[in-house]
Amino acid sequence: MSAPVDAYVIVSAILFFIGVVGVIARRNPLIQLMSIELLFNSANLALVTFARSWGNNAGHIFAFLVITVAAAEAAIGLAIVVIVFRKTTFVDVDEVATLKG
Amino acid sequence: MQEYPLLFLIWLLPLAGAILIWAFGPQLKSLAGPIGSALIGVSFVAALFSWNDATTAAGAHQALFAWLPQFAFGLQWDRISLVWTLIITGVGFLIHVYSIGYLAGEKAFARFFAYLNFFIFAMLTLVLSDNFVGLLVGWGLVGLASYLLIGYYFERPAAVAASRKAFVINVVGDMGILYAVFVIVAKIGAIGYADVFTHVSKFSSGELFAVCLGLFIGCAAKSAQVPLHTWLPDAMEGPTPVSALIHAATMVTAGVYLIARCAPLWNASSDARVLVGSIGALTAITGAILGCAQWDIKRILAYSTMSQIGYMIMGVGVGAYDAGILHFLTHAFFKAQLFLGAGIIIHNLANQQDVRLMGGLRKQMPFAFAAMTIGVLSICGIPGFAGFFSKDAVLSETLAHGHPVMWAVGVLTAGLTAYYMFRMLFVTFLGAYRGNVDPSELGLRHPELAGTATPHADDEHAHAHVHAPAWLMTAPVAVLMVPTVLIGWLDAGGDASPWGRFFAPVFGTFVPTASTPPDILTSLIVLVLIAAGITVAYMRYGNPQALLDAIPRLRSETVRMPGALSNAFYFDAAIDALFVKPSIALGEFFSRVIDPHVIDAGVREASISANWLGHLFRSFQTGLVRAYALALAFGAACFALYYVVIGAGR
Repeated sequence: MSAPVDAYVIVSAILFFIGVVGVIARRNPLIQLMSIELLFNSANLALVTFARSWGNNAGHIFAFLVITVAAAEAAIGLAIVVIVFRKTTFVDVDEVATLKG
Repeated sequence: MQEYPLLFLIWLLPLAGAILIWAFGPQLKSLAGPIGSALIGVSFVAALFSWNDATTAAGAHQALFAWLPQFAFGLQWDRISLVWTLIITGVGFLIHVYSIGYLAGEKAFARFFAYLNFFIFAMLTLVLSDNFVGLLVGWGLVGLASYLLIGYYFERPAAVAASRKAFVINVVGDMGILYAVFVIVAKIGAIGYADVFTHVSKFSSGELFAVCLGLFIGCAAKSAQVPLHTWLPDAMEGPTPVSALIHAATMVTAGVYLIARCAPLWNASSDARVLVGSIGALTAITGAILGCAQWDIKRILAYSTMSQIGYMIMGVGVGAYDAGILHFLTHAFFKAQLFLGAGIIIHNLANQQDVRLMGGLRKQMPFAFAAMTIGVLSICGIPGFAGFFSKDAVLSETLAHGHPVMWAVGVLTAGLTAYYMFRMLFVTFLGAYRGNVDPSELGLRHPELAGTATPHADDEHAHAHVHAPAWLMTAPVAVLMVPTVLIGWLDAGGDASPWGRFFAPVFGTFVPTASTPPDILTSLIVLVLIAAGITVAYMRYGNPQALLDAIPRLRSETVRMPGALSNAFYFDAAIDALFVKPSIALGEFFSRVIDPHVIDAGVREASISANWLGHLFRSFQTGLVRAYALALAFGAACFALYYVVIGAGR
């Protein structure tokens, strides 16, 4: 309990912001997936922080849940990326726009 | 709760007959008539056997099922149900037998008996029910049976129009009863007669009047009271036995039944008594006046039915319930006899119904002449015949209950009744046969107006080949002659008579005030007017000179008939102008304006705007994953900002 809660929350917010920018600004899907992992983990950090600060273990449990979901997400996301790259040669999500209305 | 399963037998045998004949009509062929008649006969005998149970203090009761705990259905067997059940099944049986002869050779012989049995079942439902909802069910079913039977000759446009008119007007009446039931349920929370009548005091006088008014609208439609009577003359398009059974003896007296049944309501509302009595008197005189101007033998009888029901309604309306029911009883016999007698004539003249084209039938059909004469003497109220007792009872009790104007109207009607009934008798039976006279010589502009004979030509041939034994038609009429003459003696002696004692436990004994004139005065005045009516009819139609130049006389009368009379006081035209035309105009307005420009336009605009919205939202669907992510992030930022602002505001 050395650092105050605010410090953890600020770190979490910075991580979240980096993640958002990574998803929006980068075109490489692998980088985007990594950014999404950053988003997950910023949320995990906030959950654990508040759980400790309130003395409520629900936050810890929820963090484990998020880690599980993140693992599943990474597996599915990477699978999608592999399939897309088998069909196309470029590494740019903006080129994958077959759902354009 | 007392159980009385015998009621099931009385009630359901006609239904069984209807289903059996309807399902196996083609196989049964001409057996349909005897089977249908026999089942009604058994029902009648069962009702006779149950006589003593109806006259116990509480009557008998058979529970059926409970719709809701407080809305239990059941059958009730008391003095009022007994009288109606005996008439419905008894007269119904005779008319079934008569129909076997009358309709022999018809293509749809079985269908007719299925309908007729179904009618008996429906009518029994109406009178046996122990609650208002069951009554309403029966009320609607008899309307359906009436519709089916008026439209029995459905290939004739007039019959179809008449059946539709009868049905629509009767539904107007059903709405009135439904409204009354709603008020009763809202106020008392029960539908059983016994429950409602013990809580009459829960109604305010206005609510009570509303209930009585709603019930009476139903009575007026079913019992052909002014201004809802216009369907009854048209209903004569049905076969004559139907006119005798439904539109004279039983169904049209359902209104009398309902008012007698609801006597506790009417006893508590003097406004309702005045209203119903007045409408009854008005109907009596209107029917009698219009009866003087008819040429169709069945329409003469139809208007006389309307007039006689006016008497009954007046009687039960003012509180003379036993007199009103007595008139129902005698009327059921003498009017059934008149109709069945007329049916013999119509049958033998190949469906000719216009009395102008009859004449001289006394020698040709002596039995029909005897039957009609006895019926006419009874309906006119000649002393000793049934009609005399019941009509005088209604009139003198109306006066005793303090309604001199209604009494005067009723007395006047008695004179008119004697006039038009003897007019019918003289024109039909005396003089020379006019069936071979050219209709135009009698003032009939169109031969097809002379009756329903011409459009009905196909059936004539069917009749010509098949002739049932004549006794099938004469025997029921002969049986009916007995009560037509004798039944009135039940009431000889007023309150001490069998009739008075029979109904005393139901309606109590009415004690007239001292100032009431004696009954004999009414009888004398009525007799004088009857004599006057017969004399006028004799002078105009019956004396030897009138019989000699009958053709020019009838011609001039036909030509000079006032428009108000030949158009039945314009009731049809008024209903047409007030309700039918506006409804059609409203319908046309909706079909021309509302439907294309509002409803269709709404649907059209909805599809156009859906299309437009689709185009709009399509532009957001870029397929750029990063754009979606940006939108998500922007949305999340907005949320975050919102909570920051809210948090700062606290």
